Amino acid sequence: MVHLQFDRVTKRFGDVPVVETPFDLSVRRHEFVVFLGPSGCGKTTLMRMVGGLDAPTTGEIRLEGEPVGPPDRRRGMVFQSYSSFPWLTVAENVAFGMKYRTDLTETEKAVRAEQYLDLVGLYEFSDHYPNQVSGGMRQRIAIARTLAAGADVLLMDEPFGALDALRREQLQTELRAIQRRDAKTVVFVTHDVEEALFVADRVVVFSKRPARIVTQIDVRSRLGDERTIEMRDGDDFFALRRETIGAVRAAAGDEL
Amino acid sequence: MSLVAEAEGGTSDVAGSSVQTTAPSARRPTARRGPFRLRAPLPRGWDAAVAVGASLAILAVWEIVARLGLTTPLFFPAPSTILSTMARMISDQNLLWHAWVSTLRVWGAFLLAAVMAIPIGVAMSGYRVVGAALEPAVDFIRYLPVPALVPLAIIWFGVGEETKIFLLWLGTFFQLVLLVADDMRRVPNEYFEIAYTVGANERQALKDVAFRAMLPSLVDNLRISLGWCWTYLIIAEIVAADSGLGFVIWAARRYMKTPEVMAGVVLIGVIGLATDQLLRLLHRRAFRYLRGA
Ligand SMILES: Nc1ncnc2c1ncn2[C@@H]1O[C@H](COP(=O)(O)OP(=O)(O)OP(=O)(O)O)[C@@H](O)[C@H]1O
Ligand SMILES: [Mg+2]
Repeated sequence: MVHLQFDRVTKRFGDVPVVETPFDLSVRRHEFVVFLGPSGCGKTTLMRMVGGLDAPTTGEIRLEGEPVGPPDRRRGMVFQSYSSFPWLTVAENVAFGMKYRTDLTETEKAVRAEQYLDLVGLYEFSDHYPNQVSGGMRQRIAIARTLAAGADVLLMDEPFGALDALRREQLQTELRAIQRRDAKTVVFVTHDVEEALFVADRVVVFSKRPARIVTQIDVRSRLGDERTIEMRDGDDFFALRRETIGAVRAAAGDEL
Repeated sequence: MSLVAEAEGGTSDVAGSSVQTTAPSARRPTARRGPFRLRAPLPRGWDAAVAVGASLAILAVWEIVARLGLTTPLFFPAPSTILSTMARMISDQNLLWHAWVSTLRVWGAFLLAAVMAIPIGVAMSGYRVVGAALEPAVDFIRYLPVPALVPLAIIWFGVGEETKIFLLWLGTFFQLVLLVADDMRRVPNEYFEIAYTVGANERQALKDVAFRAMLPSLVDNLRISLGWCWTYLIIAEIVAADSGLGFVIWAARRYMKTPEVMAGVVLIGVIGLATDQLLRLLHRRAFRYLRGA
């Protein structure tokens, strides 16, 4: 049931404590968890430690009960920028997710690449280069590549940060649908309250650095599993949004 | 909830249309039109036309000045004289063979420098220890003037081919190593991390991602250092050679045959220009993806 577990994790870079109070959090399998917090508080650092791109100073992060090691393709990353390779076509970028897989034949890889291209709506742009498609499409390339790699944990660091509001909304809806369809566990970092509430099962609100959990918001029990654009104008969403903003303000503390 | 492609551009146009109603009169009134607006693009085909036109104009002025007798032919012969001298040198003095010998030297030294500089430069920025170890030495040597090392080169290698290759290599390798290291340093960390998270090991990340990411700027830097090789060629061939364009130029100087000197110089320029343009063309072909839609 528990897929990902932070067990008394702390992290410091030299003299800078990023996570000082031991950090505990369990993420259930197929849960969509959002890290929401002020800029520079340590969200990215915590997420990178899950990916194996950084190691905790003390404590442990466990994936399916095992301490996480160096990066592997069970934990896929989607970055805000440089999320795809400019020298590969859209299709080749997606196929890159399977480049080092030995459990699939070339034919299987080709079939899967097409499936995921189709899933994220990029099939007809297969032969384009990332430079020739929009920012939103580039993020979808990254999502498809991560899925093709066979990741069951998606680690997404402000993946839609550079997109305009309408495109963000659309990708959020798509991401939520894919996550439910393919039953993925997602850890998603953002500092946009509405984005957090719209995609999450659970929102973890961070204090400013050193990062500490201020509160957690069980969005799923309030909004359910299905998320539609119309919900964003609903009263439930509005109330939740106000509550969350209150929590975030409190977290920011004397800065405001 | 279907995963259909978004209507690209359409949405943002609608959103923007109510805002972007800038009247023509609101344009910067002093804005100049035409090619002399800052950073204005040239219409298609103009680039080549302007380049050829300007070059011909310079040659024409030069020719006229020389013909009017405003210069002494001994110092400043007309383009036509240089051209006819060049033609004569091709038939009488094996000029093209000398050019070929020089080209081989340049490419030999250049390839040697490149083959050594690429792995070393990549290692220098890929592994901090290697960088820390080599940076002082590389930086020191790269500021040494190549001509000052000619005597040393002759002591070490005599006056054979090795000396020439060594001098050219010396002039390019140390510069190139640092350029390669810089190219590698500019590869975003995210690229490595993407590779690792789809299961690549370090060697695969280096080969399949980092090297590929730095390739366009690497090729550019190689092109530029090939140009430096031609600069040092003359030094090498003046000092110790009985062949090559440097030798031809230096021999002609001894008898004050200015047109021959100029013919040699011009030939180097032509070879350089042609190589550079060819490499630029190949660069554009190979790295089409750098240009957006
Ligand atoms: N490699 C590093 N070395 C030293 N300090 C670091 C390093 N990485 C991050 N930090 C510091 O740790 C703190 C937390 O950084 P982190 O990137 O995790 O914050 P964040 O919550 O993701 O912020 P943002 O919302 O701006 O992305 C920052 O103050 C940052 O400067
Ligand atoms: Mg961050």
